Amino acid sequence: MEDGARLMERVRARDVEAFEQLYDGYHRLVFGIALRVASDAALAEDVTQAIFLKLWSAPETFREGNFSGWLSRVTRNRALDVVRSRANRPTGEIPADVAAEASTDGTVFARIDAQRVRSALSALSEEQRAPIEMGFFAGITHEEIAQRTGIPLGTIKTRIRTGLRRMREMLTEAVSR
Amino acid sequence: MNEPMDREQLLDLVAAYALGTLPAAESSHVAAFILTDADARREYDELRATANLVGLSAEEPVDSARAARMKERLMATVRSDASSPRRAPSSATRTSAMWGTTLAAAAAVVFALVSVIQNFSLRSDLHEAQQRVATLQTRILADGRTVARDRRMLTDLTASDAKRYTVAYGTVVTRGEHVYLALGSLPALAPGKVYQAWTLARGAKAVAPSVTFTPSQSGLTLVPIPDNAGSLAAVAVSVEPQGGSRAPTTKPAFVQPLS
Repeated sequence: MEDGARLMERVRARDVEAFEQLYDGYHRLVFGIALRVASDAALAEDVTQAIFLKLWSAPETFREGNFSGWLSRVTRNRALDVVRSRANRPTGEIPADVAAEASTDGTVFARIDAQRVRSALSALSEEQRAPIEMGFFAGITHEEIAQRTGIPLGTIKTRIRTGLRRMREMLTEAVSR
Repeated sequence: MNEPMDREQLLDLVAAYALGTLPAAESSHVAAFILTDADARREYDELRATANLVGLSAEEPVDSARAARMKERLMATVRSDASSPRRAPSSATRTSAMWGTTLAAAAAVVFALVSVIQNFSLRSDLHEAQQRVATLQTRILADGRTVARDRRMLTDLTASDAKRYTVAYGTVVTRGEHVYLALGSLPALAPGKVYQAWTLARGAKAVAPSVTFTPSQSGLTLVPIPDNAGSLAAVAVSVEPQGGSRAPTTKPAFVQPLS
């Protein structure tokens, strides 16, 4: 299969076959993230439909860079929006996320797949992995993570940073092999 | 009183911002830090790209019946749209249309309900409920405006087409009609003092008073200037008494012409 960025170029030209390939290649990722965030298969299905329809109707929202990473972030944000709207959570509590819809990350991780990310995450200590996963999939603030885990806020912040740095090192090493 | 944050603590916040766990109230300070510090910007870019990949760990097989059902629905929509000469309406348009229909239906239901409710106590309850709904809607709108403003500011600050002017203690940023002061390491203020921004309109001979502000606990401050950037020839900042002044009473920390 062509990579996601190339397929998106074809989708911009309204190439249905390219879109179908995009769906075949990435629906497991989109559905998996939505399911992890929402813990509800029907909701995850709705999010998956919405994300792919958005890719079709507004392909220009992806500009360049790592398509998987961008899609991952967009799906996470969409799923969190749906979950929050169901819970009537005030939007003022949502962490601001300026780059949520942007594609600012580089192409250095373009060849990273799910297995490599899982390996990198599992190689982190539980202390580092847990706040990163909670932050990404539960969409809660570091203050809420500290409250839920009973760990001091400063410690949570430091663990998120050191965990992400360590993860980056491992992934960089993996793609350079 | 909290101590000002050191550099390592600020970099911890940059990582939280990259992951998406930073509370909205703190994000403008971190954005200002990223804007004024090259190392922070690099850290943000690297950790943002890494954080995005966390989602890949959730990829999993979808049962074949569900996958086929989703694909069938999706491809039917896409094929129909592709064969149409017009592009499909944007999701926002579709959402608006859906809301329009929903609201019309809701209005009809409310009308029908009101017309049959003769009991005074029920009407009273309805009135109270409507007032609560109105209050909640006002709060939701206010929250939404705050989030929209913060997002707009952060988008402006990090945009590649923004103009940036380096000044003492930070940067003046203009983008479109917006003007921001992104200042770091501002000297602490004496009691009873504030920083005040000043604007010089194009063609004017004297500066006009603008907003007053105090540095945040982190020492970083992001100040949106309410004037239209296109109408301004310069901005300045000085230390003034609490409440601000009509004209500068101290030597400005900086005066920055805007091109």
